[in-house]
Amino acid sequence: MNETLKAARLDYSLLRPYWKTLCFIILMPVIYTGVARSLSAGISFEMCMLGVTASYTFAISEKNGMERLYGALPVARRHLVFGKYLLICTTGLLALGISLVTHTAVLKALGETVHAWEIAVSAVLGFFLYTFYVVFQLPAYYKFGAVNGKMVQFIPVTGYLLTLILLPRVDLNSSALAAALGRPGMLAGAVLLCCAAAYVISIVVSVRIMKNKEV
Amino acid sequence: MDNVLEVRKLSRSFPGFQLKDISFTLPKGYIMGLIGPNGSGKTTTIKLILNMLKRDGGEVRILGMDNIAEEKAAKAELAVVFDSNYFCEAWTAAQTETAVSGFYENWDTNRFHRLLEQFHIDPTKKVKDLSRGMQMKLMLACAFSYSAKLLILDEPTSGLDPVSRDELLTILSGYIEDGEHSVLFSTHITGDLERAADYITYINRGSLFFTGGKDEFVDSFRIVKGGPEDLTEEIKARLIGLRTHPTGFEALVRTEELERLKHASVKADKNRSVQGNGDSALPAYTSVLKKPSPVDSWTVEPATIDEIVVFTSQEPYREKGRIR
Amino acid sequence: MKLIISNVSGVPIYEQIKQQVKSAILSGELQEDEPLPSLRTLARDLKISVLTVTRAYTELEQEGFVRNIQGRGCFVMGRGSELIRERLICKAEEGLTEAVRAARMAELPAQELHRLLDILWEENENG
Repeated sequence: MNETLKAARLDYSLLRPYWKTLCFIILMPVIYTGVARSLSAGISFEMCMLGVTASYTFAISEKNGMERLYGALPVARRHLVFGKYLLICTTGLLALGISLVTHTAVLKALGETVHAWEIAVSAVLGFFLYTFYVVFQLPAYYKFGAVNGKMVQFIPVTGYLLTLILLPRVDLNSSALAAALGRPGMLAGAVLLCCAAAYVISIVVSVRIMKNKEV
Repeated sequence: MDNVLEVRKLSRSFPGFQLKDISFTLPKGYIMGLIGPNGSGKTTTIKLILNMLKRDGGEVRILGMDNIAEEKAAKAELAVVFDSNYFCEAWTAAQTETAVSGFYENWDTNRFHRLLEQFHIDPTKKVKDLSRGMQMKLMLACAFSYSAKLLILDEPTSGLDPVSRDELLTILSGYIEDGEHSVLFSTHITGDLERAADYITYINRGSLFFTGGKDEFVDSFRIVKGGPEDLTEEIKARLIGLRTHPTGFEALVRTEELERLKHASVKADKNRSVQGNGDSALPAYTSVLKKPSPVDSWTVEPATIDEIVVFTSQEPYREKGRIR
Repeated sequence: MKLIISNVSGVPIYEQIKQQVKSAILSGELQEDEPLPSLRTLARDLKISVLTVTRAYTELEQEGFVRNIQGRGCFVMGRGSELIRERLICKAEEGLTEAVRAARMAELPAQELHRLLDILWEENENG
């Protein structure tokens, strides 16, 4: 665990010089929420923006030829991977928390009513989307690098467009959805479980790629 | 543990390039130069030592520890400096410490800041604003802050001006002075580091050409220079490298071959006198006695490492020069 | 003691160190029991290989100019050392043999050679 934390801290130190950009990315979607007057739409947009930042640490380390530093440090490759996922996951959750608060505040300021269940649904949806965005991106960056693997940056964008198209078409009266929504706790649990599983699989794949990687 | 680094029969093949059976040993407290022309396998060797590349065969021991099975423990005692900066450019020197120090248990912050001062590095300056020499000194400052036992440098002098090269030399000589620290550096610019190195490992086209004491390496070769007519096939066959020009030749020979070369040249001279020289009425043997043998008129000089590398890289001679 | 290393003289560095230490001892600049600079410090100061200095010191020891005390360093044996004296005599003999040979080739009479030696002796004493 200690090693993972150290690796996460190293990754964080890559992002730190770019904190202004990150703050902008986390706070900017508030405007979108204000215009769309919908918390879930705003969170979806937020997660898309944040999902794109998953490539940052890769791009920075690639630009600086830092694989040579990683090769010299007394740290196992798998811990570097764990650290990366820890940082990505933490940033996601942190940004999600911040935006849930700010977006709700903005909506309330605009005179909208925001129900508690709406916040809960947005939280689960946000986490699910973010997970979906990063679990495919990270192994791809490990495999191809930030520059060559750039095409996977479109995953968050595509995902966002899909939610934009699909969300309004959801038939709220369908029996399956009704059954699921009847047990919100179980639905949320299932979604979170799916996310956890996705992370585990993604980590396993990334570790395997990293172990065989030569620099 | 008297050997800081032991490399045994290290091999790795790539499409179009093969590193085969590289073996060398670096004793504690000394500097070893890993030399060879570009593309000969120096960086590959270093990356194999660091397990950044997977080896096909062989063994690497760093302070007695296997470089793969005990990678973490071995790397805690090891520092690497590459030809160019490997820190994030946006970091300041002080932030570099924050990012890296956590990985080393014995990191000494005071020492790090003393070193920055000594190297004239402003801790608030960003890495990208440091000169190449400064960037290297920052990497060295990190290495010394956790008192790495073994310092590996890959082409450290390639982008440096003469002043920085000299500073690096001073730093390295100081680093090994206590006899506890050792240095392995690769380079194709042998000139300035040639003096400081205790051992030489010379790799050419992926094969080991020589490993051992530097003085022994330099002593075992000589440069000979002579007139164009002194070259015979027999003499040519004894040379390790040859460069001819209209007014003469320069060649690399093994020091122990010098005597035999003398005999060959005397014989050649005798043949020449017997065959012709119509104006000379003297019998062949007196002409040999009277005239000094060509070798005596040759210039024999000690060879520099550069010259040895240049001559032994020539195509037909590569195998002959090899030390078995 | 002054130690100057030339890169272009063609004389190996260890040989240069040896010669300069020897002449410092023979000239009395280095006194008996005086320590030579520490091996590694000298290597650092001159930016030369530790092994090169080691070789110079080892050969100086073999030739009886210094003695190496494990863990303490190298110390000058002193000019009075019997071994050094013997070696110097030996060297003088060698030089004279060479001179005699050259004189015979030049068909220089023995008296002339003696006279030449006397002149050189005087000159050297004054210089």
